Amino acid sequence: MADEILQQAQELLEGQIDFQGQKTTELISTIILATSGLLAFIIGFAQQNIYYTLWVGLGGAAIAFLVVVPPYPFYNRSPERWLPKRSGMAGSGIEIDGKRIN
Amino acid sequence: MHSTLVRVQNVFGFFTTVAFCTALLTALSVLLIPQHPRASIELRNVQVVKGRPHYYSPKKEEYAHIKFDLDADFTSLFNWNTKQIFVWVTATYPSSKTSSSAPPSQAIIWDTIINSRSQSHPFNPLQLIKSATTPTKKSSKAKSPTKKKDPELEPGIIRLKNSKPKYQITDISGILSERTNVTLEVGWNVQPWVGALTWTLPEGMEIGRWKGVKGGKSKAFDMPPLKGKTASSETVVASGGTPKAAEASAVI
Repeated sequence: MADEILQQAQELLEGQIDFQGQKTTELISTIILATSGLLAFIIGFAQQNIYYTLWVGLGGAAIAFLVVVPPYPFYNRSPERWLPKRSGMAGSGIEIDGKRIN
Repeated sequence: MHSTLVRVQNVFGFFTTVAFCTALLTALSVLLIPQHPRASIELRNVQVVKGRPHYYSPKKEEYAHIKFDLDADFTSLFNWNTKQIFVWVTATYPSSKTSSSAPPSQAIIWDTIINSRSQSHPFNPLQLIKSATTPTKKSSKAKSPTKKKDPELEPGIIRLKNSKPKYQITDISGILSERTNVTLEVGWNVQPWVGALTWTLPEGMEIGRWKGVKGGKSKAFDMPPLKGKTASSETVVASGGTPKAAEASAVI
């Protein structure tokens, strides 16, 4: 019971996402950060106010963190379908209390 | 990107790269903005008196008290990336009468820091949010004339009439009287938010869209002979404090 809770907490903390999700987050973070940097420069230059550059850049970074960092469910929509476990075929041959450990 | 910690590290790492590139673009964009500073400086009055660097000093030196007029327009030095500019006036004179190979002596007689508008009125989005959330309370007050904004003056205009020097200057030899060929010069240093510091562009010089200062040099004058050799007219520089600029409000 305690092990289960601990495992859940660990999963939540680690926030693992599947391979497709990793690809998506990579793409999204790159796009958000690059466009916010470019936009920050353009807005600041157009308005002739460097504070706009600062805050637009920081805001873009904050959005990137919010969108990418938490393990949202849509980053876990295509779990990898591993091959089924082939039991008994290549066992290690170690037995504990009459049970075979693979 | 498989776990939270890795995603935090990756996003932050790329953010630093983006921030650096934006800063680089900002620093380089300054080159596109034309600069055409103009300054005219004239001598008003000059006196040379004997004095001591501080009260207990046994050494006596000659101090020049130079009053001047300065009329300068440095507004074009203020672009979106300017934090502040430092402006100074130097007195330049030949170091020795005999050898012309020695570099001239220079001493600053007056200086000031001019803040840009972005420095004096920083923009903070948190204030926008604050004022947006409490509009009902202040709506009645906003109509009252108490909320008066300062006139949006472009910083960088200096008008000094008969200004006292901030610093009384002396020479390493201790003798300043009857020096010849003294000129007053205006110099500046632009301090940007990001990027390189830039210094005075001398007259006639041109770098891209940046033009050198128009004027910025006074006519040559000579130092007068020593005034009042009696002990009563001695000045003590340190205890007297540095004289302040004639009108602080004249610097906008």
